[in-house]
Amino acid sequence: MGPITILTVDDSPSMRALLKHALLGQGHVVHDAEDGVVALDWLNRHIPDLVITDINMPNMDGFGLIEALRKQDRYRDMPILVLSTESSDEKKVRARDAGATGWIVKPFDPEKLAAAVRRVTH
Amino acid sequence: MNTSGILSAKNRINVIQGDFYVSDDRELVLSTVLGSCIAICLYDPAIEAGGMNHFLLAAPSGTGEIGPLKQRLYGAFAMEQLINEMIKRGACRSTMKAHIYGGSNIHRAMAHIGVSNANFARDFLRQDGIPISMEDTGGSAARRLDLKPATGQIRCKHIPTEDVPSSALPMMRPAEPSRVGDVELFLTEKDHPQWDRSRS
Repeated sequence: MGPITILTVDDSPSMRALLKHALLGQGHVVHDAEDGVVALDWLNRHIPDLVITDINMPNMDGFGLIEALRKQDRYRDMPILVLSTESSDEKKVRARDAGATGWIVKPFDPEKLAAAVRRVTH
Repeated sequence: MNTSGILSAKNRINVIQGDFYVSDDRELVLSTVLGSCIAICLYDPAIEAGGMNHFLLAAPSGTGEIGPLKQRLYGAFAMEQLINEMIKRGACRSTMKAHIYGGSNIHRAMAHIGVSNANFARDFLRQDGIPISMEDTGGSAARRLDLKPATGQIRCKHIPTEDVPSSALPMMRPAEPSRVGDVELFLTEKDHPQWDRSRS
């Protein structure tokens, strides 16, 4: 699997740093954003292979980001993984209905994350 | 600080290792006993609510020690759960105040554990932009901690380790969350054609 470009979206700088560390270690190119609004701005100018987003964020949460992306033709099929401390079925169904590709429960296991990234991008 | 009411509170929740609790209940007190573990107390005066977590990041050797990245991920999880619950109630990172307690070096052979726990908590809060208004870490005594989440009142009492019943001391192993990295993919190949960004 060659390197892919991933946008990570999380309001916690500490979590963004940990996620970046793990994904860089797997050889990927990583960009990050602090909420849905900043992510959408970046996505208007760049096209990644995958978005990994938190759910609970100020300004625009993960659900809002997924819905906004799926309205755009160019992001209709792009894989979007949710990475959240939440694990309720209600939230997962809402994310699936909004167009998420999958859901990973924090704290993530680096090996399981790598496998999920491979699965949805190849 | 006036801590009247903290000791006599009838409504008390014990925050055990690996747990967290957030509330704005004016009758409630959150309590815990700390050795090498860390408890972070958050309070946001803008919403008159606060909370406490209780975690152990590192463990002595021979107890199923986990790697440094996973240790930081588990610690970050404990922090994020507490911060997220505060934010859901309307708190902001910039208006919250944090207190750090614990990280005691109860046994000389385990001295690095308390220091490592305290360093992690301090670094996480600084990186996340949450001001630390009080820190009481290190030393060799256990701590009894009480927080009134609705007012932010805190009482921290140092207790000689020998005076603490062993049943009240936290476990000397990191609490590995039960659902580490559970992955659930929603869409089949048919529903989700391979993404090719060159087509876009």
